[in-house]
Amino acid sequence: MSTATSTPTGTGSEPGRKPAHKGGTTSKRGRVQQRWLPWAFLAPTIVGMGIFTLLPIVASIALAFFRWDIISAPTFVGFDNFAEVVQDPTVRVSFLNTIVFVVVAVALQLGLALGLAIMVQEKLPAWLRVFFRSAFFFPLILSAASVSIFMRYLFNEQFGVVNWMLSLVGIPAVPWLTTPGGSAAVVILVYVWQNFGFSFLLFIGGLASIPVETYEAASIDGATGFRKHFYVTLPLLSPTTLVASVMAIINALQVFDQPYVLTRGGPGDSTRTAVMVIFESAFQRLEFGQASAIGVILTLIIMAITAAQFRLSKRFVFYQ
Amino acid sequence: MTTIQERVTTTAPIVTRKKRDWSVAVRVAVLLIASVFVLGPVLWTLSTSLRPPSESFKLPPAFLPLNPDLTSYTQVFKQLNIVALVVNSALVTGLIAVGQMLTAALAGYAFAHLRFKGRGALFSIVLATMMVPAQVTIVPVFMLIRGVGLSDTLLALIIPAIPTAFGTFLMRQYFMGLPGELAEAAAIDGASPWRTFRSVYAPLAMPGLAIVGILAFNFHWNEFFRPLIMTISEQNFTLPLGLVSLQGNLGTGSISVVLAGVVLSMIPALVVFMFGQRALQDGLTAGTGK
Amino acid sequence: MSGTNGALRQFTRRSALTALGAGIVGVTAASWPRLTGADIPGRGDNSLSIAIMGTAADAAARQKVIDAFAKVHPEIKVKVQAIQAVDWKDFFTKILTMVAAGTPPDVVYVATEGAQLFAEKLAHPLDEYLRRDAADMKEYFEDVHPSLVEAFMYKGSLFQLPIDWNAANMYYNTASLRAAGLERPADDWTHTDFRSTLAAMKKAKPADFTPYYWTNRLFGGVVPWLYANETSFLKETKSPGGEWLWDGFYANDPSRSLRSGGYQWLEPNADDPRVFESFDYLRGLVKDGLGVRPEEGGGSALIGLFASSRIGTTPAGGYWVQGLHEAGMTENDFDVQFFPKWRTQRHQFGTAGYAIMKTAKDKDAAWEWVKFSSSLEAMQIVFPTPNTTPARRSMVNEQLYAGTGPRNWKVFYDTLDRFPSTGPIPAPPQQAAVETALMKNVSLAVSGDERQLKDALTAMQRDLELALRRQP
Repeated sequence: MSTATSTPTGTGSEPGRKPAHKGGTTSKRGRVQQRWLPWAFLAPTIVGMGIFTLLPIVASIALAFFRWDIISAPTFVGFDNFAEVVQDPTVRVSFLNTIVFVVVAVALQLGLALGLAIMVQEKLPAWLRVFFRSAFFFPLILSAASVSIFMRYLFNEQFGVVNWMLSLVGIPAVPWLTTPGGSAAVVILVYVWQNFGFSFLLFIGGLASIPVETYEAASIDGATGFRKHFYVTLPLLSPTTLVASVMAIINALQVFDQPYVLTRGGPGDSTRTAVMVIFESAFQRLEFGQASAIGVILTLIIMAITAAQFRLSKRFVFYQ
Repeated sequence: MTTIQERVTTTAPIVTRKKRDWSVAVRVAVLLIASVFVLGPVLWTLSTSLRPPSESFKLPPAFLPLNPDLTSYTQVFKQLNIVALVVNSALVTGLIAVGQMLTAALAGYAFAHLRFKGRGALFSIVLATMMVPAQVTIVPVFMLIRGVGLSDTLLALIIPAIPTAFGTFLMRQYFMGLPGELAEAAAIDGASPWRTFRSVYAPLAMPGLAIVGILAFNFHWNEFFRPLIMTISEQNFTLPLGLVSLQGNLGTGSISVVLAGVVLSMIPALVVFMFGQRALQDGLTAGTGK
Repeated sequence: MSGTNGALRQFTRRSALTALGAGIVGVTAASWPRLTGADIPGRGDNSLSIAIMGTAADAAARQKVIDAFAKVHPEIKVKVQAIQAVDWKDFFTKILTMVAAGTPPDVVYVATEGAQLFAEKLAHPLDEYLRRDAADMKEYFEDVHPSLVEAFMYKGSLFQLPIDWNAANMYYNTASLRAAGLERPADDWTHTDFRSTLAAMKKAKPADFTPYYWTNRLFGGVVPWLYANETSFLKETKSPGGEWLWDGFYANDPSRSLRSGGYQWLEPNADDPRVFESFDYLRGLVKDGLGVRPEEGGGSALIGLFASSRIGTTPAGGYWVQGLHEAGMTENDFDVQFFPKWRTQRHQFGTAGYAIMKTAKDKDAAWEWVKFSSSLEAMQIVFPTPNTTPARRSMVNEQLYAGTGPRNWKVFYDTLDRFPSTGPIPAPPQQAAVETALMKNVSLAVSGDERQLKDALTAMQRDLELALRRQP
């Protein structure tokens, strides 16, 4: 277990190892090359991101101070867009929905992924392990839009398969897509159904790199079953958990396709998410300034949450 | 090299005891139930697409496609120019994937093995761009594309998608898993830094590159939002855009035809997945496992 | 990795990579015209560009019209762009992005949903052309009901000529009706008759069946029930003007006195007691299991459910016939009747036609297209099957519905003649915001207790107010 395992993941901090080329060529040409070389490697990515991400972000921030419908010329309105957005009940509800969604969906996704990963990684015939891994990963290759299309049929109140299955165990038909609670549940279930496979795969990777000796030592100390996982697996897996949760949260905060196709945000505003509100105000109502204002607020929130996660991780993540 | 090999082989399971062997059965049962929940909806979709619409809501549901009826599929081909859609999707996803692999390999290597001022800060900025939703940047990108005269072209979909924060992150992790001694050895042999990258590191990082490529393919093959905004002429449409139109305005579309379209769109992603599965699983293990 | 073996491996790998690289470069170069869109015929030239909603198949169908048009106007080059979209809202988004991209089409096929948005911001009025070519156009207006035309009037000007349209009539499953021991309902059946019909159907088939299936959308959702009850969720007024058109083409029409310079929806009306009454009626249907709680949007399950006899009745228009036919229903399996009467029997309809864009390079040429498209010849080419209702009365005939049903296809056009106050989908220029404000509150309104209904209508009133206050 060399280099990579001793390195914290994704913190953006200095890697824990000296760069390779420090003692390279000593000729003048070499040193000159040394200075611009990293930038040559970085140029395509950095220039591309500068043009297609950073510049648009700046433009978006600027746009948030204008009223603009794409057809006529923009007019400067100061902080009006922000003021309107903050007061708009729909926007507020959608941000709240997004936060609830992220908490529940990510908890379910990580819990499910971790539980299944542990089960798959323990003693199993190899072909079964391959089968389960592939099965759990499978939904990821589908598009969220098409998954939502067929899930909509399955969750139909009168004729859907889900309610038919519930009726077998005597549960009366649930109005999944037409009540606030039901539709929120469907959006979460469909989202988790499709995405837990990614976290699952990350956890498989994390589990695989826990040395067998650790468990041997633990079992000598008398730790078995649940205790073994609680005291050994979880702490050793914490770097993976950090990566998995950061990625899951970033993705969940941007959820769009599932509620858009499944419920169109309804009933009421019960499944309207922040990104949906941006889409609606920009591309359906042509209020690009307001859409940008919402986008700026959302981006700030996402960044704050991610920063908080890394701050917390310093305390709770255990590196070997 | 050793690190990766080691990880792949230590997939070996965790200690178990003989007397608790029944637990294997329980585990398999739980896992089987989970896979039924995961695969069931897909099977239902497949079998429903193979039935006429009047039988689409059969209860108890038919999960197995007995007596398949292919009319819905011919209907899809009649309504959509599938060949053109697939060619466009393949071009867009293929070139994005290749572009991402190249740029992510270069940038990932620089972040992992080259030393320069502001490396940590720059890497943080790259990571931070992952957090910005596409909906926030799409309008300025759209205006930018218009400015350079690429409105309503496939290039408008391809070029902005090539710089990849996630791919760069993955490749950085991957390169960090390769020992720095390789570079030192190469330098002693008189290899230039570029040659060191190309001949020593890049070949070893192929599995990591494969993941970047597969994930890019998977994501952009299914991408809906950007093509929705960026392409206008139907000649420039990609597959997911064509498929939603099968639903028909005011519900005139048939469920079987819609589902047939869904199944058809799965096939290419499924093929890539089958070939790339192994690389993907091993690669993610090595790339982000730790 | 040493020795000849390693070197060889390295060599082959390198040549493989080189080949791969060359392949990618080759593919890119070969597909360059595709990547830049340079291979799209007519792109960037000055031919008249026409945007319609639909698939490539629809564009191919229009090709025949283009060919016919070319015979009349060989000097005008035309290209049709079929734009695929889930609904009209999506389609308008697409048109607006084309405007934003600096490549707006010259002519757009616009439905009622977007008529006022286009009239307000994007479209050029047809008035001058209609006055100029009045003699040629006389025959068209004689064949088209004025209610349809009025839907495209905005502030005294006409912006589109109706090509196709649909009213929300009531479809029913013949077998379900018979099983309930009922005859075909009378033309003037009332909302209470409707309710007892549903109850009888339910009694005859209690499981795996819904007597009334409806979806939550602007067309065929709650609005027909509001119209029948002589109300709407927006206050409906009409602007003055338009005499030039009505006196010019409809002077002798019996409904002449109803016509105006166009509809106006300026204020919300969700707090009207009749709106409550209509919603309460629907809530009753849902509560007693006679109707479903409506899902938002889409409705792509409808054909499958109706064709498999899981649904007794559902509101739809002439556009549904072809779909049911393709799903295997024969004229013995379903039929259509007027929407039930309440205080009135006013129906709701939606229509569509070509609008000329303000930015059109050659407006005269664009008008020639609009004019030709409204001709009997062109419309017969475009509507070979009943997947919508043609705006020309003479085309809604025995022949169109032969072999597909419904037996009472006459209901479709009779709707306009029998109920001349029948009105369009309420769609002010802020249509997208208004539609969202309505739809998001419908499900809650009809699926809870009376208190929940009142709260939902209060919320709707507030949301509509916000929506209307927005700049269109």
